[in-house]
Amino acid sequence: MFGAATTRQTTNPPASADALADIVLPDQDGNEVRLGDLWRDGPVALVWLRHYG
Amino acid sequence: MQLHRAREEFEAAGARLVLIGQLSPRHAAHFRRNEHIDLPVLADEKRDSYRAAGAKVATMGELLGPKVMAKGAATTAKYRVVQGRTIGHPAQLGGAMVIAPGGEITWSHMSDDASDNATPEEILEAVRSAGA
Repeated sequence: MFGAATTRQTTNPPASADALADIVLPDQDGNEVRLGDLWRDGPVALVWLRHYG
Repeated sequence: MQLHRAREEFEAAGARLVLIGQLSPRHAAHFRRNEHIDLPVLADEKRDSYRAAGAKVATMGELLGPKVMAKGAATTAKYRVVQGRTIGHPAQLGGAMVIAPGGEITWSHMSDDASDNATPEEILEAVRSAGA
């Protein structure tokens, strides 16, 4: 139900953002954004939303 | 402080604030308009960045357990927000990270259950502590 996990998972944040850097996502206007570019010139706070709605 | 009102404070602390959601760009645009959010919203329908960030998928207890429901009711009362139709994987949890130039993750808080969310104040403090 809801696609819930059947066994409890643990969070596993990495120490560095290497695995995130090359991910490319569209923004709200459809412009492609490479995540690594977000922290190229300064720090960034990224917030992953649980879902919309 | 609500996250969508926090942009100026993050910029004053020297950091950008970017949201990532599990939906299409069209829904991201709708979300910004609906919630009056003046922040970039990236669309990650495949949830690749969630996996790379170490976010977890919740069990039913972590979605609808007593602790989660109690905190959800408190949030509804405090911010007068009511959950609408869910778009995205309903059991996918989120989180937050502060990433420094060079790619070091200086702080992270990935949600352990649906009620476990870093506050904007906590994220902002992490930015300030990192010397942004």
